[in-house]
Amino acid sequence: MKLNPAIVGFIKKELTQALRDPRLATLIFLVPVIQLTIFGLAISSEVKNISLTVVSRPGDYLARRIEERAVASGWFSAVRIDSPAAQDYATLLREKRTEAVVAVAPEGLRRALERGNAKIQLLIDAANASRARQVEAYVKNVIARALADNSQAPPLPPVKLDLRVLYNPSLESAIFLVPGIMAMILCIITVIVTSMAIARERETGTFETLISAPVSTGEILAGKTVPYILLGLAEIPIIIAAAVTLFGVPLRGSLFQLAGAGFVFVSTTVMVGVLISTFAQNQQQAMMGGFIFLFPALLLSGVMFPVENIPAGWRLLAYLNPLMYFAKLLRNIMLKGGDWGVFWTNIGALCAIGAAIAAVSAARFKTRLN
Amino acid sequence: MSADVAVNVENLTIAFGAFKAVDDISFCVEAGEIFGFLGANGAGKTTCIRAICGLLSPTAGKITVAGRNVADDLMAIKTLVGYMSQRFTLYPDLTVRENIAFAGALRKMPARRILARSKELFRFTGFSYPQDTLVQNLSGGVKQEVALCASLLHDPAIIFLDEPTAGVSPASRARFWNLIKQLSAAGKTVFVTTHYMDEAEQCGRVSLMQTGRIAALDTPQNLKAANFPHPLYEISPSPAAESDFAAALAASGAGPVRPWGLRYHLEEQNADLWRKFSAERAGQFSQRRIAPTLEDVFLKLVGGGAA
Amino acid sequence: MNFNAARALAIALKEVRHILRDPFTLALGLGLPLLLLLMFGFIIDLNYGDIGLKVQDQDHTRLSREFARTFSSSGYFRLEPFSSEIAPVSWLDSEKASGVLVIKENFGRHIKSGRQGEAQLLLDGADNSKTGVVLSYLAGIMDAANRKFAQTPPRNSPEIRTRFLFNQELSSRWFIVPALATVIIGLLGVLLTAMTVAREWENGSMELLLSTPVRPLEIVAGKLLPYFALSLTGTVTVYLAARLVFGVPFNGSRIVYWTACSVFITAALAQGLLISVVARQQRLAMQLSMISGLLPAFLLSGFIFPVESMPVFFRYFTMILSPRWFMEISRGVFLKGAGFMELARPLSALLAINTVLITLAVKKFKTDIEP
Repeated sequence: MKLNPAIVGFIKKELTQALRDPRLATLIFLVPVIQLTIFGLAISSEVKNISLTVVSRPGDYLARRIEERAVASGWFSAVRIDSPAAQDYATLLREKRTEAVVAVAPEGLRRALERGNAKIQLLIDAANASRARQVEAYVKNVIARALADNSQAPPLPPVKLDLRVLYNPSLESAIFLVPGIMAMILCIITVIVTSMAIARERETGTFETLISAPVSTGEILAGKTVPYILLGLAEIPIIIAAAVTLFGVPLRGSLFQLAGAGFVFVSTTVMVGVLISTFAQNQQQAMMGGFIFLFPALLLSGVMFPVENIPAGWRLLAYLNPLMYFAKLLRNIMLKGGDWGVFWTNIGALCAIGAAIAAVSAARFKTRLN
Repeated sequence: MSADVAVNVENLTIAFGAFKAVDDISFCVEAGEIFGFLGANGAGKTTCIRAICGLLSPTAGKITVAGRNVADDLMAIKTLVGYMSQRFTLYPDLTVRENIAFAGALRKMPARRILARSKELFRFTGFSYPQDTLVQNLSGGVKQEVALCASLLHDPAIIFLDEPTAGVSPASRARFWNLIKQLSAAGKTVFVTTHYMDEAEQCGRVSLMQTGRIAALDTPQNLKAANFPHPLYEISPSPAAESDFAAALAASGAGPVRPWGLRYHLEEQNADLWRKFSAERAGQFSQRRIAPTLEDVFLKLVGGGAA
Repeated sequence: MNFNAARALAIALKEVRHILRDPFTLALGLGLPLLLLLMFGFIIDLNYGDIGLKVQDQDHTRLSREFARTFSSSGYFRLEPFSSEIAPVSWLDSEKASGVLVIKENFGRHIKSGRQGEAQLLLDGADNSKTGVVLSYLAGIMDAANRKFAQTPPRNSPEIRTRFLFNQELSSRWFIVPALATVIIGLLGVLLTAMTVAREWENGSMELLLSTPVRPLEIVAGKLLPYFALSLTGTVTVYLAARLVFGVPFNGSRIVYWTACSVFITAALAQGLLISVVARQQRLAMQLSMISGLLPAFLLSGFIFPVESMPVFFRYFTMILSPRWFMEISRGVFLKGAGFMELARPLSALLAINTVLITLAVKKFKTDIEP
């Protein structure tokens, strides 16, 4: 097979331009690994480090035990406050000095329990509603255990639930998040680099030289996309290697599935970049176009919150989002070993979206000035 | 159509919305000549060249290049012509060699041919810098020489140069025009736009452009001869000149007067009235018979504001 | 350093003309924040319901059915029973369910006889977004189930009354909308300035500006001022949308809020300015602002993933991010009615970030001019 010399020329030229500037090369290859590391280490969807204040009379050992239990569980850190009686709990929470306050009856928890009308007040900062709900469950659990320690024969709960989190039994947040973040990073880089590369030619006038040569629209399009698809593909092994070595994210699926999914996704996002550039007169507009695409794409990727939870009408947007399919594919391939049914459905959806975007881009891509 | 017509334009109109950048013009460029477009910015020079090279679709009219219709045979025409646009069209972050290689690749030239041609062209232009220099580190004049090499790489028969010497030092301009003349001597057709009068003088034929129309088209000699049948004088007012000198000169009836810096150019259409004025204002000015330049023609036909 | 306000203003006016002539930027600065807020305010709902839960009931007794019903009556789960021939894990492998509940044989008999009834819940650990949520619901559901099945009510159990402060209805929208405003405004501020200034470098008009006797600080101030006004206008529309469309309560003081907004916008613009001074070309400026802006604002600022849950190092690391602080202020003012005193820490942090960013930008600027 003889390669089209114009496209080969494009590939050489685009890659030279992208990789010559060491700052840009760093941004394309090193920064994703750094970002992956930071996000993988930092983010956790678990609720941790809950600061808890137990307000009680001095010497109320049951209340003390609640606090000890809480700290021992690893989820809480205790915040002691001076002269608790005089404190306005709401202010404590408002100042973020503590996140939850457990206030027991003034006469002491033990005596109240004996009299059978023990009341415990639990105040939780509910600005973050889902966290607040979890905090409530944890605190209640801790109180129950602390009091169970006290009673002679702690009764077993009637139902024994064996909870298993498959694919990530130790609930490591890196394993949860890294595949999703990989998809996000790949998406950002390919879309931006491609749209900017075309907008730059238009802005600086080199586009005129391109179209004055006897090359077809198809050749220009291929010439401007193939190098960036290659660049995106080169990035995949780097971030996969980082994910596997740094975070121990398993790679249970086949490399064929991974390569296939990567290729289809990168081609799609590169076409998104082309589409954006057909709307942009200059790089600034291309960037804004990139932002308008990336903002919803990241939010609706299913990495930050489940797509199923989006109101029905809006959910359609998520189903048009290539990033959502790729994030699902990466998770399925890396963590679950790649179910073929899942693979083909999502690849099919990605292909359909990619083809539609490519068709619109090609129709809009003008090899004439106006 | 005869084979020695390189470009033929008939009733070409290019409109952007209501604005007509090119307004119903027709002309013909013969093979092997240096054809110049002279005009101010916005006169429609670049738009017209872009349409001829097939970068813009004309609103109306017919363009043929080397006997082929631009609308039907775009790819064939693009292989025949070389185009160097007004804006800087090399990639500043690539080296000279990489820019040339890409220009060749766009025209699907084999690597060996690119190498041979670029050697030849660098010898021709006298380009002597290392080819691994980044284009952004070259001076304006040298950049334009490299751009010329890039547009000549595929040995086009017709070359379009859109303001090739804009923003380039006078010495570089002279060198560049030397190259243009050599190209023409080698049988190439060169279509060049400029707003420098001295450059236009060196063209075989010049078209004076004004707001999308052709004000005049002929050889520089014919343009001057046709527009200045009468003697032309340069009038230099002396320090003793009265304040109404200019107004009096214009009102003398001797002929049209055009300001020329601090001096005036007078077309002597009525020798008697001129003699009368000279006598009245003796001592207030000196005069010199001069040969008209293209600039005189341009000012006469198009008016001020150019160049 | 003497600072000439007139010269800074002249640059600002020039920039305003640029913006007014570029309807694209104008639309982005004003319309986009509102559009994004409206869209995502409706879209993002962290109170999940309707999570598909496959149920395999191997027991088929009244108690087992009642146990399953505890899940559905919580309002969070939609139960989808399936027969025992299918391996439970296959639902997760093929992404057809987020969780599978298996109720073991003899569930009901064991409970009646005072032993423990056994059940198993399999969750999809590949999907962090759902697993975390399901786990958070689980404690409450199991608590309810155990209470229901307990033969004797446990003695000595205190009555725990929970009060959710600042957001009694536990609306996640109240949590998301003020934060979403932060993310949008901050990002646009960074992007707009980074690109505009980088563009001036790229097309050489910055050199022109520098050849005049204008001081770097005047250029910086002149460049920031119009975008500041643009961003602030965008903020007003976002604020109105949060109040009128989403009905987020505003419990704090408007003076505190708008002061904080101004400081935050300045920080975003200063970040963009620093990027553009360092990058000097648009391509690089864009990459840098996306990398330092987009993902950190989404993932590290506490927008969805709480800063409190991060490891110690990152709780400090995120302090260099201005969105993290404004997020705290925005939620504090809207929901908690926090005032200057309560917000002293985030406010002074924002001011410090501002100082550092602007100093760095001006310094870099100066060294670039002096050969």
